[in-house]
Amino acid sequence: MSTEMIGFIVGLLFGAGLLLAGLADPDKIIGTLRLKDFHAMRTIIVFILVGMLGTWILALLGIANFSVKPAAILSVLIGGALLGTGFGLTGYCPGTGLACAATGRVDAMVTVLGMFAGALVFILIYPAVAQPIEAIANFKKVMLPEITGIPRGVWSLVIVAFGVLALILTGKKKSVD
Amino acid sequence: MENLTVRKSPLPWWAAGIVLGLVQVLAIGLVKPLGVSTQFVVADAKIISVVNSDYAQNHPLISKGKYQEFGYGWWLDIGLLAGACIAAVLIRRWKIQKTTVWWQVNHGSSAAKRLITGFVGGFLILLGARFAHGCTSGQFASGWAQLSLSAVPFTVTMFGFGILTAFLVYRKTPTIAK
Repeated sequence: MSTEMIGFIVGLLFGAGLLLAGLADPDKIIGTLRLKDFHAMRTIIVFILVGMLGTWILALLGIANFSVKPAAILSVLIGGALLGTGFGLTGYCPGTGLACAATGRVDAMVTVLGMFAGALVFILIYPAVAQPIEAIANFKKVMLPEITGIPRGVWSLVIVAFGVLALILTGKKKSVD
Repeated sequence: MENLTVRKSPLPWWAAGIVLGLVQVLAIGLVKPLGVSTQFVVADAKIISVVNSDYAQNHPLISKGKYQEFGYGWWLDIGLLAGACIAAVLIRRWKIQKTTVWWQVNHGSSAAKRLITGFVGGFLILLGARFAHGCTSGQFASGWAQLSLSAVPFTVTMFGFGILTAFLVYRKTPTIAK
C-alpha cells in the first residue's frame, strides 16, 4: 500500500475518532479549558498515555517511525501562546477545526479560512521574523530519553503515573461524558 | 432551552482516549506520527507557486521538498475530513450550526460575532502552529508519544494561554448534560 493510501486511512480513523471522542466539539473543549467539564481533558490524557505506551512498545520492537520536531524553545513558546489564544477563543485546533467543518459547523469553516490566512502570513514573515527566532535556544530534534540519559520506559511510567493522578483528581462527580 | 445544553460526547472518555491513542500507535508504526497543520502551508505554497514561482523557489521555507508535495500528511488531512463527516452522518450529528452553546450563553444568539471570532482565532491558531512546528496533533499529542523535548514548552504555553483566554471570553457556564 502506498504511503498516501495509509495516510488517508489513518486520517479516516483519526477524523472519526475525534468526532466520536467529543474532541471535535468546541463546547467540550471550552468546557475543559474553563475547568468545568473534564471530559475532553480526560480523553486527551488517555490518548496521550496510550500513544506513549504504544510508542514505547514500538521502540522496543525497533519499528517506531519517529519524526521529532526541533526544540526551538523561544519559537515553540511563542507558537504555543498564539495557538493557545486561538484555541481558547474558538474551541478549535487545526485537526478538530477541519473535523468540525466537515460536520456542518459554519463557524469551523470560517475558522479554517482563518487558518489558511495564518499560514500565508507565516510564510510571508518567515524569512524576516520566524527564521531568526527559530535559531534562538534551538536544541534541535531531541527526545527526553536522549538528553537526560533516562530510559524511555522510565519516562513513560513516570508520566503515566502523573496522568493517572490527574484522572483521579478530575474523576467522579467532576467528570461529565 | 433544550438546545442550550452542552451535549454528551458520543463515547465515554476512556474509550475515546484508547481509540485515539491506538490511531497514533498505528500511524507511528506504519509511517510517521499524526500531524495536521503543515498541510495548510503546503496548500498556500502551491497557490504562491502559481502566482509567483520565483518567490516560491527562493523562499527558505516553502522551497523545501515537504512543502512541495501532496504526500502522507496531505492525504491524512483529506481522510480526517472524510472520517469526521462519515462518523457524524452515521451517528446523526451532521448538522448546519453557526455558533456553539458556550458562545450563546456568553455572547447571545447572533452568529456574526462568533464567525468573526472564528476567523481571528483560526488565524492565530495556524500562525502559532507554524512558529511551534506543530499543533495539538503534531506537537502536543505526537510530541508526548515520542517524548520530544519540544512538547514540554509547547504544552505550558498552549494550555496556559488557552485556559486564560477561555476564562476571559466564556465567563458564564451553560448546562452540561451528564
